[in-house]
Amino acid sequence: MTTLSLADALDGRRVRITSVDLDGEAAAWLGAVGLHEGEELVVLRRAALGGPLHVRTGGGGEFAVAREVAQRIAVSVVEVPA
Amino acid sequence: MSAEPSCHGPPTSGARPSRRPPRDALGTLTVALAGRPNSGKSSLYNALTGGEAHVGNYPGITVEILEGDVTLPSGSPAVIADLPGFYSVEATVDKSTDEGVARAFLDTFEHSGRPLVVVQVIDPTRLALGLRLAAELLRARLPLIVVLTHKDVLGREGHTVDVAALSAAIGAPVLLVNARDRAAKGAVLAAVDDHAREGSATQGAGHFDAAKVARAVVQDVGNASELRRRRLTERVDAVLLHPLIGPVLFVGIMALLFAAVFLVADPASSLMDKLIGLARAKLAGMFGKNLVTSFVADGILGGAGTVLAFMPQIVILTVALELLEASGYLARGAFLVDRLLRLLGLSGRSFLPLLMGHACAVPAIASTRIVRDPRERLTTILVIPLMTCSARLPTYGLVLATFFGHRSALFRAFIFVGLYFAGILTALVASWTLRRTATKGKALPLVLEIPSYRIPQARVVARKAYLSGRRFLRDVGTIIVAVSAVLWVLLTVPMPGSTAAPGIERSVAATIGRAIEPATRPAGFDWRINVGLIGSFGAREVMVGTMGVIFGVENAADDPAPLTTRLREAKKPDGSRVYSTATGLALLAFFVLACQCMSTVAAIKRETRSWRWPAFVLAYTYALGYVAAVLVYQVSVAFGLR
Repeated sequence: MTTLSLADALDGRRVRITSVDLDGEAAAWLGAVGLHEGEELVVLRRAALGGPLHVRTGGGGEFAVAREVAQRIAVSVVEVPA
Repeated sequence: MSAEPSCHGPPTSGARPSRRPPRDALGTLTVALAGRPNSGKSSLYNALTGGEAHVGNYPGITVEILEGDVTLPSGSPAVIADLPGFYSVEATVDKSTDEGVARAFLDTFEHSGRPLVVVQVIDPTRLALGLRLAAELLRARLPLIVVLTHKDVLGREGHTVDVAALSAAIGAPVLLVNARDRAAKGAVLAAVDDHAREGSATQGAGHFDAAKVARAVVQDVGNASELRRRRLTERVDAVLLHPLIGPVLFVGIMALLFAAVFLVADPASSLMDKLIGLARAKLAGMFGKNLVTSFVADGILGGAGTVLAFMPQIVILTVALELLEASGYLARGAFLVDRLLRLLGLSGRSFLPLLMGHACAVPAIASTRIVRDPRERLTTILVIPLMTCSARLPTYGLVLATFFGHRSALFRAFIFVGLYFAGILTALVASWTLRRTATKGKALPLVLEIPSYRIPQARVVARKAYLSGRRFLRDVGTIIVAVSAVLWVLLTVPMPGSTAAPGIERSVAATIGRAIEPATRPAGFDWRINVGLIGSFGAREVMVGTMGVIFGVENAADDPAPLTTRLREAKKPDGSRVYSTATGLALLAFFVLACQCMSTVAAIKRETRSWRWPAFVLAYTYALGYVAAVLVYQVSVAFGLR
């Protein structure tokens, strides 16, 4: 299974969070917000000039995630059966 | 303390009792409304209390927690406390964030043993997210009731929630209500009563998988309407968040907001001015013109007028912001401008307060509460006073008319726009510098929840507007009136032993103005400008009027034309002109930078809860203003500007 950073995930592709490379407190807060290991996401769009990503999570939430944060979230592509 | 099961709850095998002691022993029951931001908490608070609110007093908590009194069906009183929206009590990143406040609030109950029931509001369309927080609250052994709001939205989306199954799965009572419905109040208060009376235990201790539980209890009862709704949101977002169209629309909406503020606030402010004018005239008519009536009319009423003139702006901005926030657009705006502000150590959340600073710094500083990161919020508060607020405009107008009256209108407009940009540029440089010095520190990861679009509720918006107006009057109003009174004394009372001509020249202010002349001469300011600056220390809009008094021009604030002539023609004893174009430019530089506004200082004091930061703002903006004025004057003179 190949992993990539959330910042590099293609728009519209379903991905699953495999790890969050932030310090303990920040990662815990992020998890409480809804971005935790194992959660599935879809990148809906990204703001101009390297701005934040707009993602929708499997839990039903939508979030703006700063690019710097997205770069520290590792994801794997979820294969969707055709 | 009993460990009996609640009538709503599941069996209690292996459960630990909650920490709540008998309610009568330790006072009134507190019902804490908790939940994630945008979960519908405000609507439920309003439904439960009817909008009634007073500010609660909790030791160690520095933000306002609103409370409303209710009577439970059993007849006992209870207090509903509206906690700020928060995501977690376990992952507390910083004390001054909403998480930290919620944690501190809950801790005060643990320590004091006062009776508490936590009502967590969950948006059932985002059930899994809400249940994560519910699990944390249960793990903290808090007596919990879960209220799912937006019953109507859930129905429209073609879903239903199995309330009994959810209650059994999480081990806490669960209600499904529509917070806009009158029946919601009775149902929630009855559940609180049951929970409190039966001394039910909190079971299960929150060890469940939120996502799994959510999947198990939400049932689809028809997908067509949900799909339609989702598609609509997606279509709206595709336009509002478009990389090119989105920012353009955003600027348009903000422009509309300011236009609305000016269009409504301006006539309201003039009306207020007229009323104050009438009161002054009446006062003079009744008691004649003497020192006492002058003190009341010019000192007290003048100060009160300044306060009241700000009121319409505050209320309208609060309404506009609340509408933007409640509709779900504000988070989207932050998404659009985040990148730009990141360069300067701020984020998308700071944009709106900075923009609002161009109307008036006071509501702008209050609006920084939407900034989650405490250091970023402080930075934003510290640079807002550099934005060109509307109170600077009369002085800009006077200086431009006096020294550039002979130049083309286009040239004057160019300087005018330049002054706006000078303020913005300084603020950006200042925030960049502050983030590397005074407010240095790790930034919180920016993750903003983007809420669904919703129609704001009129009663909730009205309540917020009323509270903001009342708070402004109480906190800022008293300070402005006090400062105005002091300035009146300085400008009116003669300096003991002064030999100057009677009138303003003999006043304490004039004496001080002369005393500091050596320091201000490098900027081209003489004692008269100094008196104007002393007079406008409290409120910069007073500058033109004070200069008018000094030069003996009546009503200079209404018609500055005679004053511009006097200023231009003022001569030194040797016949040379007192004020040159260089003086004008130096004065402009000073006005761009210096925080000549006690309302702003009071607002900073209120929001930072210390005198340290308002003192810092006064010191750095005055220092910048002085240095800039001296530089501009010296350079202008060197280039031969006369």
